[in-house]
Amino acid sequence: MLKKKIIKKDHLKPFLRKLSKGSDLIAPVRNGLGDVLYEKIHSIDHQEIDLSTQPQESAKAFLFPQSEALYTYDCSQGYRFSQEKDGRPTVLFGLRSCDISAILYMDVIFMRGPKDLHYVRRREKTIIIGIGCNKPWENCFCNATKSGPFLEFGFDLQLTDLGDRYFVESGRARGDSLIDNWPQFFLPVTEEDERLRYQLVLEARSGFTRQVHVDSAFNRIKDVGVDASIWEHLATRCDGCGGCAYICPTCTCFTIFDRPTSRDKGQRIRTWDSCTHLGFTEMAGGANPVNPQRDRLKRRFLHKLYYDYLEFKRPSCVGCGRCLGICFGGVDIGLFVELVCSNSKKGREEDSANILAKLLVEAGLVDQEEIEEALAQRAKTGTPLGKILVEKGLVTKGQLAEVLMEKVEKS
Amino acid sequence: MTNSIEEIAGSEVIFVIGSNTTEAHPQIARRIIRAVDKGATLIVADPRDTAMAEIADIHLKLNPGTDIPLLNAMMRVILREGLIDDAFIEMRTENFNALRDTLFAQDFDALVELTGISPELIKRAARLYASAQKATICYCLGITQHVCGTANVESIANLAMITGHVEQDYTGVNPLRGQNNVQGACDMGALPGVFPGYQAVSDEKVREKFARAWKTDLPEAPGLTVMDMTHQGVRNGIKAMFIMGENPVLSDPDSSAVEKNLSSLDFLAVADIFLTETAQLADVVFPAASFAEKTGTITNSERRVQLMQRAIEPLGECRADTEIIAALSNLMGYPMNYQEPAEIMEEIALLTPIYGGIYHDRLERSWGIQWPCPNREHPGTPYLHKYSFARGRGRFVPASHIPPKELPDGDYPFMLITGRTYHHYHTGGMTRASEILSREEKEAFVEINPQDAERIRVRNGQLVRLRSRRGEITVRARATKRVPEGILYTTFHFAESPVNRLTNPARDPVAKCPEYKVCAVAVEPADG
Amino acid sequence: MQMNHVPSVCCFCGCGCGFYFNVSDGRITGISPSRSHPVSRGNLCVKGWHAHEFVYSPNRLLHPLVRKNGRLVRASWDEALSRTAEALRKVLEREGGGAIGLLSSAKCTNEENYLLQKLARAVLKTNNVDHCARL
Repeated sequence: MLKKKIIKKDHLKPFLRKLSKGSDLIAPVRNGLGDVLYEKIHSIDHQEIDLSTQPQESAKAFLFPQSEALYTYDCSQGYRFSQEKDGRPTVLFGLRSCDISAILYMDVIFMRGPKDLHYVRRREKTIIIGIGCNKPWENCFCNATKSGPFLEFGFDLQLTDLGDRYFVESGRARGDSLIDNWPQFFLPVTEEDERLRYQLVLEARSGFTRQVHVDSAFNRIKDVGVDASIWEHLATRCDGCGGCAYICPTCTCFTIFDRPTSRDKGQRIRTWDSCTHLGFTEMAGGANPVNPQRDRLKRRFLHKLYYDYLEFKRPSCVGCGRCLGICFGGVDIGLFVELVCSNSKKGREEDSANILAKLLVEAGLVDQEEIEEALAQRAKTGTPLGKILVEKGLVTKGQLAEVLMEKVEKS
Repeated sequence: MTNSIEEIAGSEVIFVIGSNTTEAHPQIARRIIRAVDKGATLIVADPRDTAMAEIADIHLKLNPGTDIPLLNAMMRVILREGLIDDAFIEMRTENFNALRDTLFAQDFDALVELTGISPELIKRAARLYASAQKATICYCLGITQHVCGTANVESIANLAMITGHVEQDYTGVNPLRGQNNVQGACDMGALPGVFPGYQAVSDEKVREKFARAWKTDLPEAPGLTVMDMTHQGVRNGIKAMFIMGENPVLSDPDSSAVEKNLSSLDFLAVADIFLTETAQLADVVFPAASFAEKTGTITNSERRVQLMQRAIEPLGECRADTEIIAALSNLMGYPMNYQEPAEIMEEIALLTPIYGGIYHDRLERSWGIQWPCPNREHPGTPYLHKYSFARGRGRFVPASHIPPKELPDGDYPFMLITGRTYHHYHTGGMTRASEILSREEKEAFVEINPQDAERIRVRNGQLVRLRSRRGEITVRARATKRVPEGILYTTFHFAESPVNRLTNPARDPVAKCPEYKVCAVAVEPADG
Repeated sequence: MQMNHVPSVCCFCGCGCGFYFNVSDGRITGISPSRSHPVSRGNLCVKGWHAHEFVYSPNRLLHPLVRKNGRLVRASWDEALSRTAEALRKVLEREGGGAIGLLSSAKCTNEENYLLQKLARAVLKTNNVDHCARL
């Protein structure tokens, strides 16, 4: 049974000070310019740890930086390669549920199968202390991606803000040992604490202001696909800046190049890459299998919402909402989900109404003029075509059923 | 810019002219697109099908170099249909009658004919722009890089003023600045005619003020402009030059002439972060620190003065340009001892009224202050011309069509337009040194209409030779309907295809801005 | 891994996006656009996202060069500076400031531009100072 404890807010700083000895303590800090970013805590008394808002970026770059030297090479006397091996012990404090979920996804990418040594050496020395979100922010939709606002696992410790104290849950043995190492800070949990926490979790789940129907989008994509017009619309707007991928906590694509420092020495660099970049799939000879931009966006959105869903039973979007509103062309994942849900629904209804109209005219039950009038009424009011015709007395329900049966048989 | 960038998102009608905003000013394009998504009307005037033109409500696909006829035609519609803002014209402007007379003296059909656009489209655009409550014009180098650049800009101002679209939020005239600190370089008096803050060198009082502060006597004679130094420097009596952070050999028009001129100097010193084409001609080259390696301020298009803080130690033996200049000055017997850039900014604030309240310690706590900012307590100025223009009343300066200096003819049958691409920047020194950016766009290209390509027997992706009266370059052809027939479009980022060997050094008589945008060229397969 | 965020402004176009350099052990490892910045608002264009790459380009000029026997060769700062000062002084004495031209830069900071025009006017006694704004 993993531990559950209470820590008073007054004791958080002393606890963090203990943690920061021997480890790099990384926590969300509000700077003088108004941004909240994960920073290394050099002085716990002089940096303002801010748990009141979602940090503007995830903790991705601490485990998988935008650019890093994989190794240095020296071919002056034979070939020599050297690479950094040890990661520093790190405590990532104050991570939000979305960001922890993203790290779990990165674990799958970098540690399942062939292990990425650079990721592994950092990850294995990283302790994660998360904090659940009592109140989602404007763009959050982690409820729809099943990655928040509170987590069941994935953290070493997870805090819940109960006002003057935090409810502390351990998520694994390493979390337990943190509590055991500094028992002086932790109090036993009372029934009242448990009840209060439960209530907060329920309230948080009902607090989302933005509805992004990720599940419905998956189902629509599976059942009817995505209308070509949606891809066209997105493609005319996308600049290929790569920002949505760089800001995304689960985007893990990278490219590798060599940067010489002299004729026979240099570094092999790994740097983030984005699937919306033209060069991402371009071959040496100039051929590009994923071109134009439409196809690149298709790959991006379907990867997040469809292929990963098929593989992992959940999307690889964690609903952090950071990419919403930052797209230069105004075409983010939220808009895509909205378009897929509304367009395919509308499209299907449109199709079926037109088919029914055609069948009724072919069957000689209604003439062209009447049907056009009914279709116009349908477009205006949204009332189903059959209902309009029946109400007008042009067909009976029985005739309608007959025609519809015929349609089913035909298809 | 008279407005802030953020304000563009709140406009009802946005008129983009001479700007490939999506590629050259992505953050402005982002605001325009946001406005469009909120229901704003977008009018784009551009000879090419730019990404902005593709989402526009009205695309005025004008012939290159016919901006004045287009603007005049629009103004005629506005006048004729009574859509002018009488009150604004009466209270805030002068010389309106001259504009009206000029416009009515011009034949509408003839103007329309010059532009090559349908009259109906021009009328619609004019009505939409004039009748909007909040209308913004964004223009860029497609307007200024012409022999008639100044007249183009004045015509835009005319259009904005007859409709009163200048004095409120979300409404104004916005030239988009090309470089991160082109605004600041002007503000700081890196111009032959003015001291920092646009204080005229010719003004004796101003000279006295600076002479007192700098404790030395100051020259009175007006200085030479860029091209008078880079092209005709030697002819103008220049013997020695010091060039800081510019690469005129690649960036100036008719670059062969620049190379020749700079090579004939007695002495040339260059400070740059790379050994540029210009630095290669120098007698002394100083390795400069990049923007990540130094502290200093820059001023963006919307006059926002912002602080860049040193992130890393200078690489190798590099030094910040301030240190290089100070060291030179000290050696020449004029002591410049500044502890840090903040101290230089204090001197700037002291001598430059528009920067009077701008200090580094203030900038450390905010994302910049928009000038004019006369004192420490002043919060800065988000938009200009609120109650009056800088010069009092806004003056209408009527203009008539001035064709480009060089038009296509039998020998050089194509009109070449130059511009910037999304992934690169100017002479490419910085962006081509970035691995991802250079991967995205490896080499120069010339856009050619498929019909033209077929006629001259050029395949998509084939190398072609472009020739003008001044030189020739080789570049890869990209057949696309984005350009109309008879027009070619190419970029200027690649030293291997130095397009400024082709461009025309003919200049606007006032601004002295050369006609980069258009020149006449011939094109043929490179291997034939 | 630790990382500091140092505020800066993009070095490319005139939009003036605010971002942070992510600095780890004295090296820039990436860029973070500022969410609160009035222009960048949480995102950068492709150039801004990669604005740190050219800093480490193998083509960076890392030491002064001086022309000797027609070729540019590596030199000390002292040599480069004194040779420049001498050459400028010679022209100034013989021909006056009118024979010296200075090009400043729209890529350099305000402080650098200010100092260069001050150098031109106060030291070299010339108004021959301009930059590429009109180009």
